[in-house]
Amino acid sequence: MDAMTGWWDDYFWASITVAEVFVCSLFFMVIFGLLGASAKLSSNAVARSLANTYTVFFRGTPEILVVLLMYFGSAVTLTAIAQLFDSSIRFVDIPPFWAGTIAIALVVGSYATETFRGAFSGVNPGSIEAARALGMSNTQTLFYVRIPEMWRLALPPFGNHMLSLIKDTALISIIGLNEMLFVAKQATSTTGKPFTMYIVVGVIYLGFSTIITLATMLLERFANRHVRRAP
Amino acid sequence: MSVGIIMDAILRMLHGIGITFGLLGLSLAIGSIIAVLLLLMRISGRWWLSWPAQLYFYIFRGTPILVQIFIIYYGLPQFDWIRDSMFWSVLRDPFGCAIVALSLNVGAYVSEIFRGGVLSVDKGLLEAGAALGISTPQRFIYITAPLAIRISLPAYGNEIISLLKSTALASTITLADMTGIARTIVAETFAPYQIFISLALIYVTFTWIIQRTIRWTEGYLGRFTIR
Repeated sequence: MDAMTGWWDDYFWASITVAEVFVCSLFFMVIFGLLGASAKLSSNAVARSLANTYTVFFRGTPEILVVLLMYFGSAVTLTAIAQLFDSSIRFVDIPPFWAGTIAIALVVGSYATETFRGAFSGVNPGSIEAARALGMSNTQTLFYVRIPEMWRLALPPFGNHMLSLIKDTALISIIGLNEMLFVAKQATSTTGKPFTMYIVVGVIYLGFSTIITLATMLLERFANRHVRRAP
Repeated sequence: MSVGIIMDAILRMLHGIGITFGLLGLSLAIGSIIAVLLLLMRISGRWWLSWPAQLYFYIFRGTPILVQIFIIYYGLPQFDWIRDSMFWSVLRDPFGCAIVALSLNVGAYVSEIFRGGVLSVDKGLLEAGAALGISTPQRFIYITAPLAIRISLPAYGNEIISLLKSTALASTITLADMTGIARTIVAETFAPYQIFISLALIYVTFTWIIQRTIRWTEGYLGRFTIR
């Protein structure tokens, strides 16, 4: 572990970056998932087929390919646009942080779409009828009946989606984000101790996953606090 | 960029199909063997067998495959005793490293899938088997396994699809699988949309074929089931 001297702070800041990517992509993942689910459940055929294309494409494509496509694709487009105004510009890109965040959020969002769709259709129709009978509006039904009931069903797979997200953050190092794998690579070239450097990355990721797993367990307990258990 | 160039690129990328499917097939086979061993450890009822299996699952589920690949490919050569060992011929080669990493991963996930299948087998059937005087290993082979395989097949199919997607990570350790070739072409032509989207569609097609095959197999295995 002597080789680690002087690198701890780099790993610390890199893991902060990973946490930032995770939080931002979690936010977008939920949005994409909810949009996809509502499109899939809507009566509009165009929305349904768009959502189907979305899930089929992103669930069948390797994550690394989506990350590369997002980063290099946006770079080509932005460079072309920039050159319209100033032909001396050689290369414009969106920051790897955002390209990567959006890319992994899109991928995991396609899985979340299916989860949310399943959870919304798993809500007991009786509860919704009861809400109608009590004169609740559609919005009220959504927030007081549908969502509290659906998230109980959605939480266990949602925990897995969060695990996928944290693990996919590792992919963003290939488009040059200064995160843990990137630090490990630099550290290896100075210290010549690749195993030590990459194992530390693995251990930090294991820590993140453990926190997420525990948080999901607590959330599940909280969501199910009203549910009566079999005696 | 014309259609002709895209067609050329697709043909070039399809040259990587051998490596992609070599990775998929080999690591699926080795991984499934690891999975069965882990499963037997898990359901053995002996803590000194089931705890290591659980720890294994915890470690492999909690770390990115990319990190595992890097630990194996870049990390292990740090030790002289690995370079002197008989495993060096496998670990020296990026293909071998990718196989090792992917197999270990598949082993972890598939053992969990199989465990779900085994646990869902009706206890009454096993009791009936015991009443007929069938030994424990035979009960496992003739009663539990056929039912558990059928039950875990859909999840197993999803695992094959994630494995197909994971093989693309091998391009990060210089392997020329389909993704690796695509990255080379993009570096040459700088046409990311055309190349990467065509490749994505190729992967989607393979995913679809795997899904169909699994669904057909499910129907075939379930042909005696009364609906």
